[in-house]
Amino acid sequence: MKAKPAAQAFRYSILALGMIIIMIPMYLTITLAFKTTEESTKSFFSLPSSLYMGNIMTVIKKAGFWTYFQNSVVITIISLLLIMILVPMVSFAISRNFQKPYYKFIYYLMLAGIFVPFQVIMLPILQYTSDLNLMNHAGMIIMYVTLSLTEGIFLCVGFLKNIQFELDEASTIDGCNIWQTFTKIIFPLMTPITLTIVTLNSLWIWNDFVLPLILLNRSADVWTLPLFIYNFQSEYSFDYNLAFAGFFLTMLPIILLYGYMQRFLISGLTEGALK
Amino acid sequence: MEVEHTLRRKWVGIVSRSHANRRSFNYFLFTLPALLLYLGFFIYPSILGVLYSLTDWDGLSKSYHFIGLDNYFAVFKDVRFGQALIFTFKYTIIAVILKIALALGLALLLNGNIKFRGFMRSVYFFPAVLSLITVGLIFNQIFYTILPKIGEQLGIEVLSKNILGDPDTAIFGLIIVNVWSGIAVPMVIFLAGLSSVPNDLHEAATIDGANSLQRFFSITLPFLIPMLNVNLVLSIKGGLTVFDSIVAMTQGGPGTATESIAYLIYAHGMNEFKFGYATAESIFIFIMIAFISFLQLKWLNKKEVGQL
Repeated sequence: MKAKPAAQAFRYSILALGMIIIMIPMYLTITLAFKTTEESTKSFFSLPSSLYMGNIMTVIKKAGFWTYFQNSVVITIISLLLIMILVPMVSFAISRNFQKPYYKFIYYLMLAGIFVPFQVIMLPILQYTSDLNLMNHAGMIIMYVTLSLTEGIFLCVGFLKNIQFELDEASTIDGCNIWQTFTKIIFPLMTPITLTIVTLNSLWIWNDFVLPLILLNRSADVWTLPLFIYNFQSEYSFDYNLAFAGFFLTMLPIILLYGYMQRFLISGLTEGALK
Repeated sequence: MEVEHTLRRKWVGIVSRSHANRRSFNYFLFTLPALLLYLGFFIYPSILGVLYSLTDWDGLSKSYHFIGLDNYFAVFKDVRFGQALIFTFKYTIIAVILKIALALGLALLLNGNIKFRGFMRSVYFFPAVLSLITVGLIFNQIFYTILPKIGEQLGIEVLSKNILGDPDTAIFGLIIVNVWSGIAVPMVIFLAGLSSVPNDLHEAATIDGANSLQRFFSITLPFLIPMLNVNLVLSIKGGLTVFDSIVAMTQGGPGTATESIAYLIYAHGMNEFKFGYATAESIFIFIMIAFISFLQLKWLNKKEVGQL
């Protein structure tokens, strides 16, 4: 099928327009981060005449950017590691014992989480975690792992239905216990769906704002990046060059990671969506 | 001899049964960490939420009283809650329609043989990896400082006012931001659906003389129904619980013009010491979302049985 040239031109111009709309805020953020206030009042859209590092340095030195970056990294990585072990484990047990009432019950109990918006537990966990002394990174990690279960188990159990039970049986005859069957045979086979789950959860945990706002807003040294940028903006909103330097630095890790992994990321999401 | 044989059979039976018991106990151990987390940090807080909603607790003091359903009656009479409900629905309807329509349009444009396909997909997906709070703050600065100054310099009246400063237009500022950052995921889901449409169907229809509009409605669209459902479920839930962008951009204002239900729950529970009351509001939105999700799932199942 050959499309008409006019239609093709129309298609490309719409797509180009869309890309411009996406890029303008990014362009403004990056350029304003490197401009002095005098320079940006003259023109918002001009390229910076020189790379002025003052704004960036203020964000790093005065505002303590590194601490928040490290907090975000620690919380995201530990949560993801736990998620990628616990979710396949419980899904494996459920899918291999689905005829038993206990497993069926916990499966539907965990799926029921789809119907419960976060707002229902938002205020109770505020009280609850403060009673348990969990208004810290450990509490954040526990909550992220818990909240990832519903979607993760739904995706994993669906995936495991397509992995034949004969594989389990063969490995049992070969003398594997369940743990060995899981680690040596099933877990490696689950790699595609595990990667989808890790992708979805890494975007959510890294960017999440509500949970840090509820659990971590009391002391500044435990903030994650989204909570930092929110508090930073309210403190420095009068100096928008400084604010944009903060936005730029907050986005920089994910921009670099995205540049490196985007193809994989999109395909990871697509595969999850197709299941 | 006979006795020995029976004994041995019995012995083997015990061994294999204990073996099976150990297996099923191990399976049970596999579920334990996830189950304990879910019971301790999801089910239990949900039950606590229901209990708190029956109290007059302010969230701080040591004691509180059970007051039955009073909070719920108060929620029904509360004008501010009613306004938040109307705002949330208005926001959800506009944002969902815009998101789905634009995501579908973009997916169609990006599908098939075009130049720079990989590059364009990466650019279009990019907003999805940014946190909504950062995007909201960036747009807030753009609306607040940059657009008005450009408007002044160019002498354009409409631009020189901050869109977020006017109770009538603030909702559209929020919608712009959420659509900007929220198109990417439904677009990718639609793209995944489009790749499942068999090419020969399109070719056969072209030979039969169907134009591109007819081909879209009778071939492409039916294949996209499951993706459409997924996207509807996700974006309706996202719309009804809209929160981050409001905190970043309007704080519910000007006045109370952009208070969503999720924002109101936060404001009541965290800042205004109406903890019990706020949990009653959260139970209310739980019932609303559960009901809407239930309807969607029912509709979705029917569609699948009825073959699209």
